Amino acid sequence: MEIIKIIGIGLIALIIIIMLKQYRPEYAIFISILTGILILFLVMDRLTGIINLIQSIEDKFSINTQFIALLIKITGIAFLSEFAVSICKDSGEAAIASKIELGSKIIIISMSIPIISSLLEIILKILP
Amino acid sequence: MSIDLLFKIAAIGILVAVLYQVLVRAGREDQAMMTTLAGLVIVLTMVIKEISNLFDTVRTLFNL
Repeated sequence: MEIIKIIGIGLIALIIIIMLKQYRPEYAIFISILTGILILFLVMDRLTGIINLIQSIEDKFSINTQFIALLIKITGIAFLSEFAVSICKDSGEAAIASKIELGSKIIIISMSIPIISSLLEIILKILP
Repeated sequence: MSIDLLFKIAAIGILVAVLYQVLVRAGREDQAMMTTLAGLVIVLTMVIKEISNLFDTVRTLFNL
């Protein structure tokens, strides 16, 4: 049922953008940003369900909670930066899009350093 | 946070476009520029409010 809403909003926004692009191109970008936000809010409650599921699994099997929290944080960063990158590319600013992508990659790598270091420790322990 | 926000912004955009043409035809280019800027600022504040709303939701969701 929700998918119909998402497709409907997308098509309506597309028509509005095409109509506005010839007179006021800057409003077209506003509408594309707002459509992205609107669709993300539509699927937000399912996303919370998924994240709660992950956290409940984490408690049950007592996996190292620090890594799971970090993974969820990294997904959030990727989620937001992809949102910004696609908008910048859409409006023709590929340079800004690549800068945002670069920044988000560096932040993700810097956040995942503890995971890498603990992985190396485990490997060293296993080796004779 | 629903579809009528899109229609509101489309309406403002069309209104500003029409006002711009009317004012330019009437020979008042500076006031035409003013109305365009005013429309832009209004829509920008609405969009920024929605963007901050999105960022807060994502921050609480992914506990960033």
